[in-house]
Amino acid sequence: MKQHGKTHTNVDKEPNLKGTLISVGVLGLFIIISWVAVFAIFLSR
Amino acid sequence: MALHNVVLPNEDSRQLLPIPKKEAKLYMSFMYVAFISLFIGGLMGLLQVLVRSGNFTLPFGIGYYQILTVHGVILALVLTTFFIIGFQFALMSKTVGMSDKQRNLSWLAFWIMTIGTIMTAITILLGKASVLYTFYAPLKAHPAFYIGLAFVIVGTWVAAFVNWRQLYLWKKKHPGEKSPLLAFMVTINMIMWFIASLGIAVAVLVQFIPWSLGYAETINVLVSRTLFWYFGHPLVYFWLLPAYMAWYAIIPKIIGGKLFSDSLARLSFVLFLFFSIPVGFHHQLTEPGIDPTWKFIQVVLTFMVIIPSLMTAFSLFATFEITGRRKGYGGLFGWFKHLPWKDVRFFAPFVGMLAFIPGGAGGIINASHQMNTLVHNTIWVTGHFHLTVATTVILTFFGITYWLIPHLTGRKLTKSVNRLGIIQTIVWGIGMLIMSGAMHIQGLLGGPRRSDYSEYGGTEQAVTWGAYQMAQAIGGTILFVGIILMVYIFIKLAFFSPKGDEEFPIAEEEENAEPTPMWMENWKLWVAITIALILFAYTIPFVDIIQNSPPGSVPFDWPIGNS
Repeated sequence: MKQHGKTHTNVDKEPNLKGTLISVGVLGLFIIISWVAVFAIFLSR
Repeated sequence: MALHNVVLPNEDSRQLLPIPKKEAKLYMSFMYVAFISLFIGGLMGLLQVLVRSGNFTLPFGIGYYQILTVHGVILALVLTTFFIIGFQFALMSKTVGMSDKQRNLSWLAFWIMTIGTIMTAITILLGKASVLYTFYAPLKAHPAFYIGLAFVIVGTWVAAFVNWRQLYLWKKKHPGEKSPLLAFMVTINMIMWFIASLGIAVAVLVQFIPWSLGYAETINVLVSRTLFWYFGHPLVYFWLLPAYMAWYAIIPKIIGGKLFSDSLARLSFVLFLFFSIPVGFHHQLTEPGIDPTWKFIQVVLTFMVIIPSLMTAFSLFATFEITGRRKGYGGLFGWFKHLPWKDVRFFAPFVGMLAFIPGGAGGIINASHQMNTLVHNTIWVTGHFHLTVATTVILTFFGITYWLIPHLTGRKLTKSVNRLGIIQTIVWGIGMLIMSGAMHIQGLLGGPRRSDYSEYGGTEQAVTWGAYQMAQAIGGTILFVGIILMVYIFIKLAFFSPKGDEEFPIAEEEENAEPTPMWMENWKLWVAITIALILFAYTIPFVDIIQNSPPGSVPFDWPIGNS
């Protein structure tokens, strides 16, 4: 019974997506850094 | 919650259908053309990078622009289109079924496309159509080149009508149910393709064919280029969306997980439909004769595509994390470490996803209006689309091949082929890292795209490109090894693997998933918004282009040896 209750709570709980948050953050950062780097070349020419 | 507004998941609607042998033969026919194209196109790519390294001259009087045209047409147009149409037919057959009549029509589509491809290929091989895959006017190819292309397009339209009919009949049989996710996605992709290819059809039928036959003296160059890019950008998404189908709805099954969100996947596809077409001007940012205000508006619309792209990235990370955590892998990135790295059905598409990070970032740079002047017509752009289509899309297509081919031929993906597939993926990744990386850097240094080898009169700037051209030759050679491996794997899977039953992996929804809202399937609204956006983005500038065009151009055939 106890185990059943635990499973039920897990299903209803919001999933832990901390890794996803960090991953998309890094992805966003990569896009911004690439863009700024090329923009710097654009300005310097 | 009002129940009539939502569609509850229904066991019956999720049932997968078997693919009969007669249908499997049809889908395999598309795959044969795709993989023959891969080999021929890849060989041409190898020759190009060798020529551009400055250490190789083409034998038998073959022209550089001739092999460049073969490479572009056969890989960007033939390989992709045949693979996509074949794959999408298989998805539709599996989820909503195919009738005998639909199968016959699909064969018709196949043969129209194949006849068109053969016509086009012959003209290029005879040296009568070295106009590259963008076939910009006023370079004039033999009329059979344009007529062949028109056939390919018409063939895909037949396929589109069959796909829509398949879903329509399924919906009639399942009133009130939501359509299967993959059938929904195929339908979106073919709506986008149909609306987009109308542009190229008009250009080819109204402008190029009469002009190349001599019935029209001149051609309006800017109109033809604008129609090409009205089609050319959604073409990119026509390649990409089938890869997204696999990422959203097939990869979760392969890694032992569930769909992250049915609604999110559908919404992202609807957004791709909206924002893939009214954005062609971002390929023409340096084009004189287009009002800068409308270029800016289309740049803004282009940036809207970032939204569904990032939705996709989030959804994929979330699928991986939820699946890993459910399997008991804790920590911040334990789920990542334990992804099925040794399963090529996952590994190849994953490397494709990885390539899309720099590919997407590069795309944002290209589309950034004034910043485009930095990279326009440089080999940076070639590097960019070798990341997106030639890595992201193609590695996902290879990932699909590992299970789709044995599924269709009644064979198994063996451990040894799986291992070879992993090696193939690594070879591809390394080759592309070297080749595309060198292209990006050489592009930033001003190296031109498209052009044959030249020392440009010994100018200082051209000297700085040499090392990068050599790197491209090395990367391109490694990629060709990857192509040989992949063709071998395809032949093995199609004819020699042991008989068996390979799974057609399609992910299911969570038991307690939020129901998908009914308005997701409001096709008329989606098409109406798409057309409204196109009319908004194109009407005024297009009328302006027509009214204020310079005189049209007579055909130029001598620069490409077609006189």
